[in-house]
Amino acid sequence: MAGLELLSDQGYRVDGRRAGELRKIQARMGVFAQADGSAYIEQGNTKALAVVYGPHEIRGSRARALPDRALVNCQYSSATFSTGERKRRPHGDRKSCEMGLQLRQTFEAAVLTQLHPRSQIDIYVQVLQADGGTYAACVNAATLAVLDAGIPMRDFVCACSAGFVDGTALADLSHVEEAAGGPQLALALLPSSGQIALLEMDARLHEDQLEQVLETAAQAARDVHTLLDRVVRQHVQEASILLGD
Amino acid sequence: MIPDWKVVQDYFEILEFPELKGIIFMQTACQAVQHQRGRRQYNKLRNLLKDARHDCVLFANEFQQSCYLPRERGESMEKWQSRSIYNAATWYYHHCQDRMPIVMVTEDEEAIQQYGSETEGVFVISLKNYLDNFWPDLKATHELCESILQSRRERENESQESHGKEYPEHLPLEVLQAGIKSGRYIQGTLNVNKHRAQIEAFVRLQGASSKDSGLVSDILIHGMKARNRSIHGDVVVVELLPKNEWKGRTTALGENDGESPSEPMPTGRVVGILQKNWRDYVVTFPSKEEVQSQGKNARKILVTPWDYRIPKIRISTQQAEALQDFRVVVRIDSWESTSMYPSGHFVRVLGRIGDLEGEIATILVENSISVVPFSEAQMCEMPVNTTKNPWKVSSEEERERKDLRKTHLVFSIDPRGCEDVDDTLSVRALDNGNLELGVHIADVTHFVTSHSYIDIEARTRATTYYLADRRYDMLPSILSADVCSLLGGVDRYAVSIMWELDKTSYEIKKVWYGRTIIRSAYKLFYEAAQELLDGNVDIVDDIPEFRDMDEKSRQAKLEELLWAIGKLTDIARHIRAKRDRCGALGLEGVEVCIQLDEKNIHDLIPKQPLEVHETVAECMILANHWVAKKIYESFPRQALLRRHPPPHQEFFSELRECAKAKGFFIDTRSNKALADSLDNANDPNDPIVNWLLRSMATQAMSNALYFSTGSCAEEEFHHYGLALDKYTHFTSPIRRYSDIIVHRLLMAAISKDKKMEIKENLFSNKDLEELCRHINNRNRAAQHSQKQSTELFQCMYFKDKDPETEERCIADGVIYSIRTNGVLVFIPRFGIKGAAYLKNKDGLVISCSPDGHSEWKPGSLQRFQNKITSTTTGGESVTFHLFDHVTVRISVQASRCHSDTIRLEIISNKPYMMPDTELFQQSSFLLKSDLVKEVTRSMEEAQLAQEVKVNVIKKDYQKYCQTKGRSLYTLLEEIRDLALLDVSNSYGI
Repeated sequence: MAGLELLSDQGYRVDGRRAGELRKIQARMGVFAQADGSAYIEQGNTKALAVVYGPHEIRGSRARALPDRALVNCQYSSATFSTGERKRRPHGDRKSCEMGLQLRQTFEAAVLTQLHPRSQIDIYVQVLQADGGTYAACVNAATLAVLDAGIPMRDFVCACSAGFVDGTALADLSHVEEAAGGPQLALALLPSSGQIALLEMDARLHEDQLEQVLETAAQAARDVHTLLDRVVRQHVQEASILLGD
Repeated sequence: MIPDWKVVQDYFEILEFPELKGIIFMQTACQAVQHQRGRRQYNKLRNLLKDARHDCVLFANEFQQSCYLPRERGESMEKWQSRSIYNAATWYYHHCQDRMPIVMVTEDEEAIQQYGSETEGVFVISLKNYLDNFWPDLKATHELCESILQSRRERENESQESHGKEYPEHLPLEVLQAGIKSGRYIQGTLNVNKHRAQIEAFVRLQGASSKDSGLVSDILIHGMKARNRSIHGDVVVVELLPKNEWKGRTTALGENDGESPSEPMPTGRVVGILQKNWRDYVVTFPSKEEVQSQGKNARKILVTPWDYRIPKIRISTQQAEALQDFRVVVRIDSWESTSMYPSGHFVRVLGRIGDLEGEIATILVENSISVVPFSEAQMCEMPVNTTKNPWKVSSEEERERKDLRKTHLVFSIDPRGCEDVDDTLSVRALDNGNLELGVHIADVTHFVTSHSYIDIEARTRATTYYLADRRYDMLPSILSADVCSLLGGVDRYAVSIMWELDKTSYEIKKVWYGRTIIRSAYKLFYEAAQELLDGNVDIVDDIPEFRDMDEKSRQAKLEELLWAIGKLTDIARHIRAKRDRCGALGLEGVEVCIQLDEKNIHDLIPKQPLEVHETVAECMILANHWVAKKIYESFPRQALLRRHPPPHQEFFSELRECAKAKGFFIDTRSNKALADSLDNANDPNDPIVNWLLRSMATQAMSNALYFSTGSCAEEEFHHYGLALDKYTHFTSPIRRYSDIIVHRLLMAAISKDKKMEIKENLFSNKDLEELCRHINNRNRAAQHSQKQSTELFQCMYFKDKDPETEERCIADGVIYSIRTNGVLVFIPRFGIKGAAYLKNKDGLVISCSPDGHSEWKPGSLQRFQNKITSTTTGGESVTFHLFDHVTVRISVQASRCHSDTIRLEIISNKPYMMPDTELFQQSSFLLKSDLVKEVTRSMEEAQLAQEVKVNVIKKDYQKYCQTKGRSLYTLLEEIRDLALLDVSNSYGI
């Protein structure tokens, strides 16, 4: 059988979504007691856990401290069982280093680091199940965790991926769609200002189409924002009820 | 009606019937097809869904919350699929508020029992039952159903019996793909040699694989065993054989076993088929005697396809005897490795063997051309133009368009009697002294809106098909012959291009594109225009527009027209000269006109070109060129252009050799050099030589193609033949779908200039590329069908003439190619090309007595580069050189299963005594007198609204693409498809 049809003539994707539709997003904040902030998110079958410590004093070498702002330290790891084939992923392999760097760039743009000079914020993200859009899930989980930790941010950071198939831009790619090898774009957005915290693109895409894909990704990110906002409000409400007792 | 997954898989052809409408395909069923039947059938299904004429829809039941059923533990895939489909059907029934009864068609007995009476209003029945109850009148479907059932049963039986294997199994797909990647196997398209279909086939390499493997030539597949069940046109994977098993191709003519194969070439065997390109095949059932000789198993019958390249097909049917004298369409179902021949099933009857209609239908099916009358829905979209309710220019359009009715003298030049005039010309002097040249093309897109029914139909047809005696229109005649046609004296919408030219140098200063309203003042025909150009004003009486004028205004008008035509010719000469400097090629084909009456062919007459032809052509080329520039500028990624890739130098070697034999040198390095050296290669004693050389040059070239600019690098846009950097087809939207697309692009480009919003009806690059492929494909089919129908008529012409006595069957021929056991001869008189043997089936060779007459004697043949010598045992010898004139006798070799073929026999090695000139005069004399007769008769016939049979269609496949309407004698031009090679890679610009 020849290649899989990613977008049917009727406009359905392999999993039955429309082109601009997101997967189901469920999230919870404050899942761990010992951390300063934590969150868990599910985007379809992609599941990620984020934990935040800080701001606290610089651990390890003092030389790394920055005089005017906080140091954001991100670490990414994915579970052995997260993908189809079971594989040990040691800390510090290239993929997780890259992902850590990307997360760091994203959050340095979003967190108001200048409020905490000479201190450190640790963000640890673990992917439990990877079904496409791991970067987006990590960012979204980390946002919630940072909010949970009460670290001041400019805005939510909402991330979403987008791809391009047969002249149509697809939002929130699943693993099957990613594996098909088309262009893929990851976007982290500060929704209220519309500023872009991070934009990454692999594979080639004609510049005429870039705008369309970008717009799809941005729209998806704004949709994510509404969802995350709801989660945060609900969490705050629950917490205030608990405190009220 | 909702078909079950199994029905969709096995009885898809029945669902394809246009009568069956309103079919709901469930996603589950579609996916089952995709998984089990592969891409080909799935694509068919997709096309069916897309085709608005069928009213079919896909329901994505697995994505619908209330229709989705998870597969239960232990439930088989098939059961789950049936259950899902039934569930969705029930849901849909309730969704329509129980008002529409739903029929689910399945072949699964259990499902019928289980679900049959579960829900009221949802009927579950078998396909046979369904057809019996709902379509009792549709006989064809019943027959088809029967034959599919039967062939399925056969197959099941067969797979149970364990035969010895006739062919090795194909390798699995993964192995093939890995093999191709590693270079172990080679992928290509299988081409079977028409003349040695049993033995020789070639695999033409595709794209990258040829570069990697370092092979230049095609790969030979020798014998049926090595071909391993692949059929002509399939995309196959080939494994090369070791060098010591390589074989050469035979160069001998006909079925005589090749004695002297050429040097060995890469030889391989097929290990797998990537894509089966099976289509409908026309076959003939064996005659009674043959059936008996086929033995006990009379229900399985071997039928012979019309196309030589297709192997015999096994059909199981009980109607064999009834179908004996008919041409029949069959489809191949499968080809098991245990079977010598593929097995198929019967689809429908076309017509009697030898009957004109049947044979024409055969040609159409073989070229996959389907022409049904336009449907009511399509006709409803058409404008009305009757005497009661005449079509008028609407006032909104009048505001939008530039009105040229008062300001411009617009006229058209077409063949006599042409109905669909799609181009007109105008030229006038501007106030500043400059000239303004205008080309006005019928505005078809105004009437054919994007994605309308008629648009879809036109897209499927892609072109008007011209056969030797009839044509199949792309658009209904209300458009093609009336409202779109730029007839004289009536207001019409047009799309115009106007250039401002410098008064002396004719340099283009400005160009304007836009929609206009025109009124053509004169509808001239070529001969009249030529006469006017030559200053011969007597012809005026033949022009209807002048007839009713008084002397004075007539004089004034005539002068105006004379000036316009003169100026036009002047401009055209100038542009042509400019193009010639860049190396444009003038490659004329034979222009032959067939005269017909009541199905009998009177005569085949070559025709002379006029200068006016060239003038009109030049203006059209100019228009096409400028439109191409414009749309490319506006839509660099999705414009439809036409390119003509430069030819491969290797293909010219034969041409060079031939020319050398005559002492000419042909320089083929560039189009300019080629054009010049072809002009020089002129033998004053024999004009045919130059003509033949040109025709050979044409053969060596690649075909011109439509393409989308997004899928090609800009350097490749070049048009080799016309020596233009960009070219497209714009000037005949009535006959070609490509022109309709170009019109839409141009309109979008103009509105883009004016900062208006572009309508979203342009194709994306990918869709356009697919469309181009379709149009190219259809054009090729049109050419083939035209060629085949011409051959059919040629054969019918000679069939009832006795070659021994009839004087017309003896003609002068020119040898243009040498083979090991014969020569290929071209007969200028009829434009026929064919083979003449020098050695007959008994092994006797030809010898010529001193007065030239030939006899068959025992002896041997010796072939050289430019000549062939036949030596008899008696020591006499005769030599035939290239370009020698000989006398040949034309006869027809009848064939039951295939088309008849023309046979040539050399009866003398001297030129035929009747001088050509005399013959031409005689025939043109005959033409004129007959013409008058036929004019009158066809007038009467038209009045009687009878089927006009006396029309011969002018073949329009010319470089300037003039329309040739249905006329009394129209002409068959440029039968270059009858050209030298049997591969008809004719050259179109």
